[in-house]
Amino acid sequence: MQSRWDIGEPEKPTINEETEQLKSELLTLNMGPQHPATHGVLRIEIKTDSEIVAHAIPHLGYLHRCMEKHCENLDYRGVIPFFDRLDYLASMSQEHTYVMAVEKMLGTEVPRRAELIRIIVLEFQRIASHLMAFGTYALDLGAFSPFLYAFQDREEILRFFEELSGARLLYNYIWVGGVWNDLTDDQVEKMKSFLDRFEENTKTYHELVSMNQIFIQRTANVGVMSLQDCFDYGATGPVLRGAGYKWDLRKQAPYSLYSEFDFDVQVGVGEIGQVGDCWNRFIVRMREVGESIKILRQAFDKLEPGSIMGKVPKIIKLPKGEIYMKTECPRGELGVHLVSEDGGKTPYRLKVKSPCFTHTSMLPRVAPGQMIADFVATVGSIDIVLGEVDR
Amino acid sequence: MSTHLHQHSSFKQYFLNLFHAIYTTVKGMYITFSYVWGVKVVSIEYPEVREVLPARARMRLFNDAENCISCTQCAMACPVDCIYIASEKMPEGAEIKKTTSGSPIRLLLTQFTIDTALCCYCGLCTTVCPTECLTHSHDYEFAQYTIDAMKYDYLAPDVRAWRDRIVKA
Repeated sequence: MQSRWDIGEPEKPTINEETEQLKSELLTLNMGPQHPATHGVLRIEIKTDSEIVAHAIPHLGYLHRCMEKHCENLDYRGVIPFFDRLDYLASMSQEHTYVMAVEKMLGTEVPRRAELIRIIVLEFQRIASHLMAFGTYALDLGAFSPFLYAFQDREEILRFFEELSGARLLYNYIWVGGVWNDLTDDQVEKMKSFLDRFEENTKTYHELVSMNQIFIQRTANVGVMSLQDCFDYGATGPVLRGAGYKWDLRKQAPYSLYSEFDFDVQVGVGEIGQVGDCWNRFIVRMREVGESIKILRQAFDKLEPGSIMGKVPKIIKLPKGEIYMKTECPRGELGVHLVSEDGGKTPYRLKVKSPCFTHTSMLPRVAPGQMIADFVATVGSIDIVLGEVDR
Repeated sequence: MSTHLHQHSSFKQYFLNLFHAIYTTVKGMYITFSYVWGVKVVSIEYPEVREVLPARARMRLFNDAENCISCTQCAMACPVDCIYIASEKMPEGAEIKKTTSGSPIRLLLTQFTIDTALCCYCGLCTTVCPTECLTHSHDYEFAQYTIDAMKYDYLAPDVRAWRDRIVKA
């Protein structure tokens, strides 16, 4: 058989023509919804050019539970368990935001002890949430043991919450007018001794992860979200503070009793890497844990006996009106827009503005040009919880 | 800390970075290694060793049907509507019993079913119960093969028998 090469000399194509003949296209890669690095059920459609991400499109809705609509059929107390399930790693902060909105509409006075207990549980929740962020972030980047250290301390905090409220994650503890159960002196002593131990442990975490050269190489100068981007997209929380902007609602617009407390707002200063990168976002969280310890110590000193429940009618009926309440949750500003009918037992409309949704929408902005491994680091560093994104 | 990220890599910098990487990794390994001896085990070997739950722990619901006055407040407070209550008028001439807290039982409870598969363990029903007959028990091992088996009829004799092994009063 005669091969085609035998028919004379084939014309040698020029390099330009050859490259025109070769077809190249972007490879579509689906990260998630079952990918361990996407922290839940987030699906990110990545268009890759070899190992470089060209586009990243987050697809939401895998955890959509129709919560906002469902709340319109619930009485004002029954909404609280649903708020627990928004950000299931920081349930206390979520229910606090909603409860504050209802209290403001009702005009309820919350007793001082109840407010202090709230601050204690909120700050413990912040520590627990940041520990989770720290552990899973190290896990994303391939370090397994920090995850176990973080869970060991988080477990103790969850134990406090279980003793206090009866549940480990979905508490239904902060009620309209106060809190459900009182904090005993025994528990306060246990919490204090835990804080002493925990403060030592945080130093270990810094040595183990934050200052590890391999960790720094993986995160510094990666996934830079500039301050302008943060403003454009409306980023809040550690993402905004990691970009170097001093904005913390506990300080800028104090709610509850936060104006009485002495603490600093930690911002990324870029001593390693540059401001707004993954490392700075990470270190803001780690340093916020230290600030939370400060607040907790002050709260324990301020604690004095008293009532834990204000005067609230048996059936809550709100006057006609609307309110927007926002608080500083571990992941950023959570906003609750509550519209009520005159004398209605149920909310007319309840809109939740979640920080994680905002931060997820920033991913397509930072992704182009990154390596896939760096993209995983970026997704981990914004610390999203899909329960809050999809609602 | 002496570790820094250097933008401009040179020959010297390359080895310096390498040194920092090894040094900090060894440091981390040392922390991990220090846990090999002298640190007691924190995990519990579950089926053999069981954790003692705090008194307020909210596990499976239990209704003490003898004390229930069929007020349906729990069903109204439930955010997921998982409590089904039916009652009828007491038959003529029946003696009116009293609950342990002293309130008279005027209605005959004919059905008290909780769909545990729907329950969200928020505890709102237990707080509104006037006779405190509906409580969260400390049972947490109640997996079933079918979803129908998660519906507990608290008037059925086998479910009533739980009362004897309830931890929380």
